[in-house]
Amino acid sequence: MDLLEVKNVKKSFDELNVLKDISLSVAEGEVVSILGPSGSGKSTFLRCISMLETIDGGSMSYCGKTAVKEENGKPVYVSKRELTDIKHTFGLVFQNFNLFPHYSVLKNITDAPINVLRQSKEEAMKTANELLKKMGLADKGGYYPYQLSGGQQQRVAIARALAMKPKMLFFDEPTSALDPELTAEILKVLRELASEKMTMLIVTHEIDFARSVSNKVIFMDGGVIVEQGRPEDVIDNPSNDRTRAFLKKLEA
Amino acid sequence: MLIRKIVPALTSAAVMILSLSFPLIQAAAEQKTFTVGFDAEFPPYGYKDESGEYVGFDLSLAQEVCNRRGWELKKVPIDWNSKDMELKTGSIDCIWNGFTMNGRENDYTWSTPYVDNSQVVIVKADSDINELADLSGKTVAVQADSSALAAFTGEDAEPENIELAESFKSLQQVGDYNSAFMNLESGAVNAICMDIGVANYELDARGGKFVMLDEHVSSEQYGVGFLKGNTGLRDEVQTTLLEMLDDGTFNEIAADWGLEDSVCLNHTDKLTDESSKAEKTLGEKLAVICKELVKGVGASLAIFLLTLLFSLPLGLIISMGRMSKIKPLSWLVKLYISVVRGTPLMLQLLVVFFGPYYLFGIQTSAHYRFYAVIIGFTLNYAAYFAEIYRSGIQAVPKGQYEACEILGYSKSQTFFKIVMPQMFKNIIPSITNEVITLVKDTSLAFAISYAEMFTLAKQVAASEATILPLFIAGVFYYIFNAVVAFAMDHIEKKMNYFR
Repeated sequence: MDLLEVKNVKKSFDELNVLKDISLSVAEGEVVSILGPSGSGKSTFLRCISMLETIDGGSMSYCGKTAVKEENGKPVYVSKRELTDIKHTFGLVFQNFNLFPHYSVLKNITDAPINVLRQSKEEAMKTANELLKKMGLADKGGYYPYQLSGGQQQRVAIARALAMKPKMLFFDEPTSALDPELTAEILKVLRELASEKMTMLIVTHEIDFARSVSNKVIFMDGGVIVEQGRPEDVIDNPSNDRTRAFLKKLEA
Repeated sequence: MLIRKIVPALTSAAVMILSLSFPLIQAAAEQKTFTVGFDAEFPPYGYKDESGEYVGFDLSLAQEVCNRRGWELKKVPIDWNSKDMELKTGSIDCIWNGFTMNGRENDYTWSTPYVDNSQVVIVKADSDINELADLSGKTVAVQADSSALAAFTGEDAEPENIELAESFKSLQQVGDYNSAFMNLESGAVNAICMDIGVANYELDARGGKFVMLDEHVSSEQYGVGFLKGNTGLRDEVQTTLLEMLDDGTFNEIAADWGLEDSVCLNHTDKLTDESSKAEKTLGEKLAVICKELVKGVGASLAIFLLTLLFSLPLGLIISMGRMSKIKPLSWLVKLYISVVRGTPLMLQLLVVFFGPYYLFGIQTSAHYRFYAVIIGFTLNYAAYFAEIYRSGIQAVPKGQYEACEILGYSKSQTFFKIVMPQMFKNIIPSITNEVITLVKDTSLAFAISYAEMFTLAKQVAASEATILPLFIAGVFYYIFNAVVAFAMDHIEKKMNYFR
């Protein structure tokens, strides 16, 4: 089953067409990497499917449930209540972590499950401790975000997203704010999640990581998907000139 | 050593004798200025007329004395509460302004009395108060440090007057007579006790809305007050006044001001220079001052705490309105904030206190004075707090809101759980500033004659003729603020658990 299906998505800011016509489907257990030069619209696309931005055209559905459908050429969002349910199907990990600075690590992870999903405190604590252990942060539950390194903060952010038990996880350049040695910590976690068949959509600049982990690589430029396919095809034998130029720049 | 003291004394004595004997010679030698201090809101003795000139019976007398002596007259309107400081620092030479001698005999060097005056009671024309006994249980206004106040509470007050004052519900001190009449009209006080000369003038000027009771509270005399010990200048003025009496000028001037029935200057009254009473020791003065000030400390604290209690939450609501997406609401709140920040708090207090009567004709009561102080302060501080909250809310990064949205928090959860604690940390330094200003601003309650500490300090300073109470008040505000700063510092440290 396709967990995410978007068709002909368009988005513009004032006169600038950032997304021209994006269609994409992500199957359960798939790991999709989105590559592309800055300004190509990949972050905007992630924000649109995370519903932090509204789209100007096209349709989107999550786990078979329609969130936006196109009527008379205009996108129509379903009711607020339906959207609330749909939003629980995915999680988003930000480039800048966006942890709550006044909450301890444990409270960052348990607060939403308790207050939004209405889990019991014991259940939320149990999940949170398991997740922290998995992230290699078992001893950091009582720390505040400012006491942690960037890589540790991002792992807490991933644990916070996972605690909501989403069907899929979106990552918006999860390693861009980190030093190279901290980047490795995060990639290790993502590899582990991939091996557990977590459905993921990752905007990234890490070519090697994209090649080794993804089932599908998407190359975006100028608001359109230029090329998509298996990583060995898109990354190692790109058919499009723009893809080639981009990959060449990264190698240099 | 002794010579250094004696020589100037002899010299000044010589100058004094010379100047007494040959006033014309001295006037020719140099143009001396004679500075008269007076309360500019005390008609007909001294006030500002329609053309903006300071005029009045006393000022006319002073002018005539100066003309005869060849002095230049300087008219200095003073704050009545500060008259002793003005005199002591030499910024005025005398107080000449319907100045009651009775009860103050030993505090100044006096001329002989020139006006016989009585204290009378003014009530509204439709009032049910017809005699002094009817004042029982009523609120009566007197000017701060006026002879009416002295007649009721002074050390030399007649027992019957003290008894009368004790029958009042309260004796309210006000800053000036205009404010007293506004209080009377709006119902905040039931009666005003004042000098008969002033009362006659005010009744004339204000039409038939007010009446004077036939029964008088006490009678008293006016004199010209000089700094205690300044007999030289006093003797000069006294001599010229008596000259004016002899050639009829004095009575002419009195007739000009409609005071011909009140004047009493004569040759038989003796100058009273001998102190019959010992000066109070510093310890006694301190005891009196502290006893008075302590009464005001509670009032200042009450203003401070109640203002914070109401304005901190109200400010949050106002900042919500300011940031509201409903345009008319946000415009209205913006207007409110701009008016509150653009006008003096003192004026806002006056509007809150007198507004109900003068705008809507609602009679207020004596209790309303305190409520008006709290309402005025709360409305004012809430506007400032609202802008501080707004700055604190806007400083919370957008990413925090996005994280909340992705996690599925509701709008109110987002605000109260995530935004507010971060906002609070952001604004503590600004709040500390505002709270410290509030401590000092409590003194502005004097604008509507609320007896908080600074108002009392000024009153005690006037009645005890010393600036000590003001100094003690300053120390009090400093300590109060040190405590506030310490507490806020503690809160700031507590909020440092996150960054």
